Amino acid sequence: MKPPSFEYFAPTTLDEAVALLAQHGDEAKVLAGGQSLVPMLNLRLARPAALVDLNRVTGLDYVRAENGHVVIGALARQRAVERSADVAARQPLIAAAIRLIGHPAVRNRGTVVGSLAHADPAAELPAVAVALGAEMVVTGPNGERVVAADDFFVSYLTVDLAPGEVLKEARFPALPPRTGWSIVEVARRFGDFALAGAVATLTLDDQGAASDVRVALFGVADRPVRVPEAEQVLRGERPDDDRIAAAAEAARAALVDPPSDVHASAAYRRHVAGVLVGRALREARERAQASG
Amino acid sequence: MVQMATPRGKWIGARVKRVEDPRFLTGDARYVADLTLPRMVHAAFVRSPYGHARIKGIDASAALAAPGVIAVLTHADVASVPPLQDPIALDGLKKTPQTVLASDKVRFVGEPVAVVIAEDRYLAEDAAELVQVDYEPLPAVTDAEAAMAEGAPLLFEDLGSNVVYDQTYRFGDPDSAFQQADRTFKKRLHTNRFMASPMETRGCIGQYDRGLGELTFWSSTQMPHMLRLSLAGFLGIPEQKIRVITPEVGGGFGQKMTLYPEEVVVAFLARHLQRPVKWIEDRRENLMSATHAKEQIIELEAALTNDGTLLGLRATCIGDGGGYSFNTASALVEPQAAALMMPGLYRVANYEARVVAVVTNKTPVGAFRAVGWTAGHTARELFFDEIARELGMDPVEFRRKNMIHEDELPYTTCSGQVYDSGSYVKSLDLALQTVGYDELRARQAELRAQGRYLGIGISPYVEPTAWGSEIALQVGFPFPSHDNARVSIEPSGKVTVAVTTHSHGQGHETTLAQVAADILGVDLADVTVVFGDTAATPWGMGTYASRSAVIGGGAVTLAAQEVREKILKIAGRMLEADPADLVLADGKVSVQGSPDRSVTLAEVAVSSYFVNSVRAEGEDPTLTATRFYDPKATYSNGCIVVVAEVDPETGQVRLDRVVSVEDCGTVLNPMIVDGQIHGAVAQGIGGTLYEHLVYDDQGQLLTGTFMDYLLPTATEVPPIQVEHLETPSPVTVQGIKGMGEGGLMASPAAVAGAVLDALAPFTPKVEELPLSPERILRAIGTITD
Ligand SMILES: Cc1cc2nc3c(=O)[nH]c(=O)nc-3n(C[C@H](O)[C@H](O)[C@H](O)COP(=O)(O)OP(=O)(O)OC[C@H]3O[C@@H](n4cnc5c(N)ncnc54)[C@H](O)[C@@H]3O)c2cc1C
Repeated sequence: MKPPSFEYFAPTTLDEAVALLAQHGDEAKVLAGGQSLVPMLNLRLARPAALVDLNRVTGLDYVRAENGHVVIGALARQRAVERSADVAARQPLIAAAIRLIGHPAVRNRGTVVGSLAHADPAAELPAVAVALGAEMVVTGPNGERVVAADDFFVSYLTVDLAPGEVLKEARFPALPPRTGWSIVEVARRFGDFALAGAVATLTLDDQGAASDVRVALFGVADRPVRVPEAEQVLRGERPDDDRIAAAAEAARAALVDPPSDVHASAAYRRHVAGVLVGRALREARERAQASG
Repeated sequence: MVQMATPRGKWIGARVKRVEDPRFLTGDARYVADLTLPRMVHAAFVRSPYGHARIKGIDASAALAAPGVIAVLTHADVASVPPLQDPIALDGLKKTPQTVLASDKVRFVGEPVAVVIAEDRYLAEDAAELVQVDYEPLPAVTDAEAAMAEGAPLLFEDLGSNVVYDQTYRFGDPDSAFQQADRTFKKRLHTNRFMASPMETRGCIGQYDRGLGELTFWSSTQMPHMLRLSLAGFLGIPEQKIRVITPEVGGGFGQKMTLYPEEVVVAFLARHLQRPVKWIEDRRENLMSATHAKEQIIELEAALTNDGTLLGLRATCIGDGGGYSFNTASALVEPQAAALMMPGLYRVANYEARVVAVVTNKTPVGAFRAVGWTAGHTARELFFDEIARELGMDPVEFRRKNMIHEDELPYTTCSGQVYDSGSYVKSLDLALQTVGYDELRARQAELRAQGRYLGIGISPYVEPTAWGSEIALQVGFPFPSHDNARVSIEPSGKVTVAVTTHSHGQGHETTLAQVAADILGVDLADVTVVFGDTAATPWGMGTYASRSAVIGGGAVTLAAQEVREKILKIAGRMLEADPADLVLADGKVSVQGSPDRSVTLAEVAVSSYFVNSVRAEGEDPTLTATRFYDPKATYSNGCIVVVAEVDPETGQVRLDRVVSVEDCGTVLNPMIVDGQIHGAVAQGIGGTLYEHLVYDDQGQLLTGTFMDYLLPTATEVPPIQVEHLETPSPVTVQGIKGMGEGGLMASPAAVAGAVLDALAPFTPKVEELPLSPERILRAIGTITD
């Protein structure tokens, strides 16, 4: 469990980092918190010729509220975001998702943006980004571009980043008024990647009907997925238990081909995805109702 | 048998903090990995990626040419080393020799095929990838029953079968018991393969001094002298020219009592290369090539009367031994131990057991805390839960009815164990009272009405301990076992205790010092316990099978008592008093009734060594004694109760409480006993709910990292409440019994029992462990496809 040899660079500015990445092309990898990349190096599952370590780049560890968004910079540690007052006030779903990641030692090093860039299909934050319609700000040799979360996550550990590009920040829309949220998952142990998980937000109008519903699942496909089939069942309707049960059933039916592995079969994931969509929607409804 | 001659002093039984802990907590402890020797080089093993394959050729030229590489060895280079095979002479046990580097065939993923030695471990791993092995894959067999079937792929063609042992033992008259029964029941349980996972993986360093012809071997082992004896045999180096040293050993649990091929290869290389060679196993290697454990297929039948009285039992225990039965009777340890202890603490007069050991294309198995007993006990206790449910009896009532009661002790079981003493019913009662059994049953009913599923698992146990010659025979492994202690008072009056019962986390530096301090009347801080260096201790077997408190504690007692006699004799001369009138306490010897007539222990010691007048002509000036101990069999007991809640929609289990009542006779240090239980119960929780070494049908290990091999962590282990009972053994020195394994023997049945009790309204069907969320949903029919 020792990595093969690689060249190591520790730039101090983002421009320098981008230049190094451009220079090494697809032979290079960005190193952020190292909580996913370092194990992959040690297991020789990743064999980059060069590592560009972002940790000495200054001014990238911000978490701030900006234009109705929570904006998280590439070096903001998960633990800092989890404890941020701006996040708690504007988008508590992010903090709740982070609390399901590993344990504090992992979150002290791991970054929110690193988790998005890594794109494990069973990870919590990519699903939150998809559910909320977050924006990914990508910097590369040709300048900056903004990618919608739903387009950013391509497939298993694959995102819309070209060689030479860095994910500079992620922008999560703040929670609208009268909106409840939930993230629930089933993992083998607390803090493990989920066997299956569900994210839901629910906005109620004055009549108590759902004016906006968002449901996303993780752990059940090669990337986090929005579930419009479940959302449709509720949109414009009062989210009572029966409707939520129907939405959960719709989510279950919409799953194409959930993965099977040593921890759970496709059948288990499909069954539990439905259970979790139901639970997430009920919790989101309760929160929406409580928010007045 | 020798009884304690001195009254209990202030140390034995005290909740003393472990003297070894400061160095562990501050990071000052040094393990094999921390040692660096001049000119040292590093080994990396090339391991089989196939479960079963023929080796057609090996080309090491690219690896040899890689940077920093010193040598690459394959079987041809070590052909002079004899193969490993288990040394136990049991009728009908077939030998399955394992060459230290695979010769013609590989039989499990992870089997060492070649070794690369380089200037550092990084370069060694780089070059290991370049060794080209030409494999011809063969059909694999990864299930014990499939391996027994006609036409199964054979691991050892010359044996003509994958079955290495198949014997049936009969005790009493099982056939008539089954004929007379009102009712009979059956159960099958396939227990999961899991493993010890010590925090420190295996590792060793060999250094050969050509001038002296001596090998010094640092290893993370539980048994330094046995390792020395083995290395001498394998390498042809005289035993007295080998010194085995264990720096700190970060846990063993049985995994490190085995002699491994890697150790032999590293020792061979040290002499071959004339340079120190280091091998530190990484976690991936540990998961795929250190011994696995606990996998059995057990089938049970019980004969009962209508009132729930057990008349007889039948058991078939099939051990899945993995690729080789290479050491310590490895393929047999599981089923043999399970079968002989199957009656447990119940009155079973008639019993038949079939013990089968099979080789398969998986990692070889070895001992792991409560070897064999975990699987056997779990199968029996879950079976008894089912029988009680069928009979409409409370599981406690069923157990109490068939359990050996205190007034029947000592009790000889039908399968040959002699239970010396204990508190079987009392422990059960105390555990139930502590957990609040009746209130819990009421709460369970209340919650069920709300659609919540709470369960209670009850697991009373009797635990064979004090692995000496007698108990080894009683539980099925006829191999003499004993150990030594040397207690010395140095000229300064300080005490050195050298023992052969090795400590790799158990806290012997504290407990054995407590024993010596009481007998010698000194402060704990004045006693140092030495172990883990064959040059610094007498000969002995090491630590395994819950033997060190009894055997180490007993041997230290006997040696310390002898030294105490010497002290009193010398002090008597110095004080002009009869030794019988002297009191040895608080570092001095005084005359009974006249405390001002006293000498300090330091004065006695210095006089003994340097003042000839205090000694008789020819009397030994050193205050030292070495004594061995080979105890009679003694059995601990206890009862574990677990409370769990199950989510029937997701199959998730939450453990709410664990209560463990423990009776290990004279308690040396209750804090250390608590720690043993906490650790063993955590391993039991892991083995019941999380840990599973999964193979595909080609013999690929699918759980090769800690991402997939799931150890329980602090969030999975609920508070564990330990209650102590103390029934001293009438047959051991100081009344001590061992207690290292009961927690892992009994907790899986309590955990699984609680889960199945919670789900009782669904009549769950479980034939396999662990109880993963998916298995739970399938057991209650929520998922069927
Ligand atoms: C014990 C343990 C448990 C864990 N449990 C969970 C869990 O339950 N849920 C979960 O979601 N995660 C879990 N993780 C993973 C953790 O969240 C990681 O921290 C995260 O996935 C990656 O973030 P990082 O900053 O550590 O990135 P790194 O490991 O440094 O990098 C990961 C990948 O992303 C790329 N990358 C990182 N930052 C950027 C960037 N700014 N631009 C472009 N590419 C970038 C890297 O090149 C690499 O390919 C766990 C990790 C551990 C060790």
